[in-house]
Amino acid sequence: MKLFRITARHAVLTFFSAVWLVPIVWMLVTSFSVDNGPNIRSFFPQGWTLDQYAALLFGSSVVAHFPQWFMNTLTIATFNCIISSMFVLMVAYSMSCMRFRMRKPMMNIALIVNLFPGFLSMIAVYFIMKSIGMTNSNIGMIIVYSGGSGLGYLIAKGFFDTIPRSLLEAARIEGATEAKIFLRIVLPLSKPIIVYTIIGAFLVPWMDFLFANIMLNSGLSEKKTVAIGLYSMVSRDNRNTYFGQFCAGGVLVSIPISILFVIMQKFYIQGITDGAIKG
Amino acid sequence: MSAHDKRKAKCQPAAGRFFTSLIRDIREGDIWVKLSLLVCGTGYFARKQYVKGTIITLLQAALMIFIPTMLWPYMSKIGTLGTVQRELVYNPVTRKNETNDFDNSFKILLFGIIGFIVVITAVVLYIKNIRSVRRLQVRAENHKHIDTFREGCSQLFNKRFHFTLLSMPVLGVVVLVIVPLIVLFCVGFTNYDRNHLVPTHLFTWVGLENFQSLFSQQLTDTFSYSFRVVLTWTLTWAFFATVSTFFLGIFLAMFINNRKTYLKRMWRTFFVVAIAVPQFISLLLIRNFFADTGIVNTICRDVGITQFFKNIGWIAPGLDYIPFLSNPQWAKATIICINIWVGAPYIMLITTGILLNIPQELIESAQVDGANGFKIFTHIKMPYILFTTGPFLIMQFIGNLNNFNIIYLLTQEVYVTQNQALAASNAKEVDLLITWLYRLTQEHSNYKMASVIGILVFIMTAACALLAFNRIIRGNREENFQ
Repeated sequence: MKLFRITARHAVLTFFSAVWLVPIVWMLVTSFSVDNGPNIRSFFPQGWTLDQYAALLFGSSVVAHFPQWFMNTLTIATFNCIISSMFVLMVAYSMSCMRFRMRKPMMNIALIVNLFPGFLSMIAVYFIMKSIGMTNSNIGMIIVYSGGSGLGYLIAKGFFDTIPRSLLEAARIEGATEAKIFLRIVLPLSKPIIVYTIIGAFLVPWMDFLFANIMLNSGLSEKKTVAIGLYSMVSRDNRNTYFGQFCAGGVLVSIPISILFVIMQKFYIQGITDGAIKG
Repeated sequence: MSAHDKRKAKCQPAAGRFFTSLIRDIREGDIWVKLSLLVCGTGYFARKQYVKGTIITLLQAALMIFIPTMLWPYMSKIGTLGTVQRELVYNPVTRKNETNDFDNSFKILLFGIIGFIVVITAVVLYIKNIRSVRRLQVRAENHKHIDTFREGCSQLFNKRFHFTLLSMPVLGVVVLVIVPLIVLFCVGFTNYDRNHLVPTHLFTWVGLENFQSLFSQQLTDTFSYSFRVVLTWTLTWAFFATVSTFFLGIFLAMFINNRKTYLKRMWRTFFVVAIAVPQFISLLLIRNFFADTGIVNTICRDVGITQFFKNIGWIAPGLDYIPFLSNPQWAKATIICINIWVGAPYIMLITTGILLNIPQELIESAQVDGANGFKIFTHIKMPYILFTTGPFLIMQFIGNLNNFNIIYLLTQEVYVTQNQALAASNAKEVDLLITWLYRLTQEHSNYKMASVIGILVFIMTAACALLAFNRIIRGNREENFQ
């Protein structure tokens, strides 16, 4: 009876895991398929090949420029990662560890602005960028992603809030400047949340579909990021020729991204629990 | 200040008090303070702060040139948003047709708003400058130390470090978030749509007309009907999406964390892998997975499920596939199910942490009192989870109201509405307000209605957020930590 219940329990878990993994497995097997379009006859491909990867990485066509997309996204992600993380940590420190007159009003404004769906402002940003000729360029995308990133300071602030105030007071009495406290005391104590912020900022351009789709609208395939590039591969016109390559691209992008994502989750949880202990 | 003056000052409103003290500063200030009214840097020169004085004077000069020449041409036209339409005019000098000096309504709106923000900022800085010059004078008269430029700069890394830290992020937020939001808000009160596209046409203010067409029944336009349909679905969707992922997530978390479960980490990893794949990839995959001619339909037909649904009348007799994403009812059900796939692992991760934190004494004492597993769940675990995740649930609800990705990626190019009234206003049965608004701007250039919908989305989210933050603020112990 006991054995039966344990088996049943694991059977249920196996069933759920299967449901969650089926699309991922399907992507994996389709990326090795000889079919170019979606395979509609059976779950597993009729024949196995590496052609889709070869076509994606070395082939040339009007639609697919995967290596170029990858480089675009990597450039945008790197710069966004640097600028956004700096912005977020800077704002979080000011709001958490310093006291000045505009602090509360600024936090309230940030709260209200955060309630607007992000791309509402993006529609107008598009026109601004267009008037200075920045649409369809990597620099424009970096500005779009990192410009408003200071608004996402709350998680880092929550972590900084848990650093004991006595530590900061002691440093101030010793004559440390605020800049020193920030760089020498607060930042070294905040590794989990820094890693979380950096990885989070790095992942944005890889995961984002919406902003890129508004900003990179020239139709030139070379200018795209991975997200909208892959999206263009499964549009109604391209689906039957590029679905195999889409899966191959999906696999290639998913591997590094999911590893980073898992690390980020770990540091996020660590950041929260560490904070609780310190508080 | 006499006691009488003080009482009087107290009765005045804050703004009045501010101005009387400003006027007093100017009246009591010496000749340098008064000169600072004209040339802002003079007060600093008088106290030997030459570098600061030069910087402030240059800034003043720059603003005095910049505002009238660059911004005023736009600001002056903001009342009409431009009157000169673009057309080709014969130029007798070059003997060619050339475009005239036309007005661009969008630029007028954008730079007009930027202009007003710059002017307000300039006025605030101007007043602050007078007061700081006056403070400097008082310090000098009392023979107190006056900071040199070097000391002033080093303050930027100490007492005024927040200024250094915040200037760039705040500038970014103002330029890339706040100004665009104000512009878009204003567009809701204009007639900026396909028939008034810049630069070839002008648009202008129309007051509340767009809001009227959204709320009142009209014969010619179906926006009010579409709005009701889309709003209903948005709210239904957000409710079901939040509740379904929440309960399945908790179920998974409890199931995996039960002490009778082996290989906990492995099971957890399976679910995390599913959400670690970027959403646009997994959703585009699933959309092809469930396509009308997709693999799921092939399997269902082979197994006989399609025939079964046909027999009980869930599929129209003419179809030989299950319209997972192409029939209104089916699509809605499918989307909610797929959303469970996307969302439940997140909830699982979060509730795992919460479950581990439930005080063990609570559960043990309940066991001593003879409660079984089910009772413990309904009377202890569930209330505990609900209590700790209450605000999070509301945030989740807000997130789902604006869940663009899942709806857009699953239904774009796949779902075609058969409802003529909806199609006339570019909506679909499965649209959320946010996706409708997106397609209105990107595909149909209907900016005025998009803006109106955007404003309503904001009001809706703000109302929900107030609910959530009320609880967070009441439980806010930010100051207690310190």
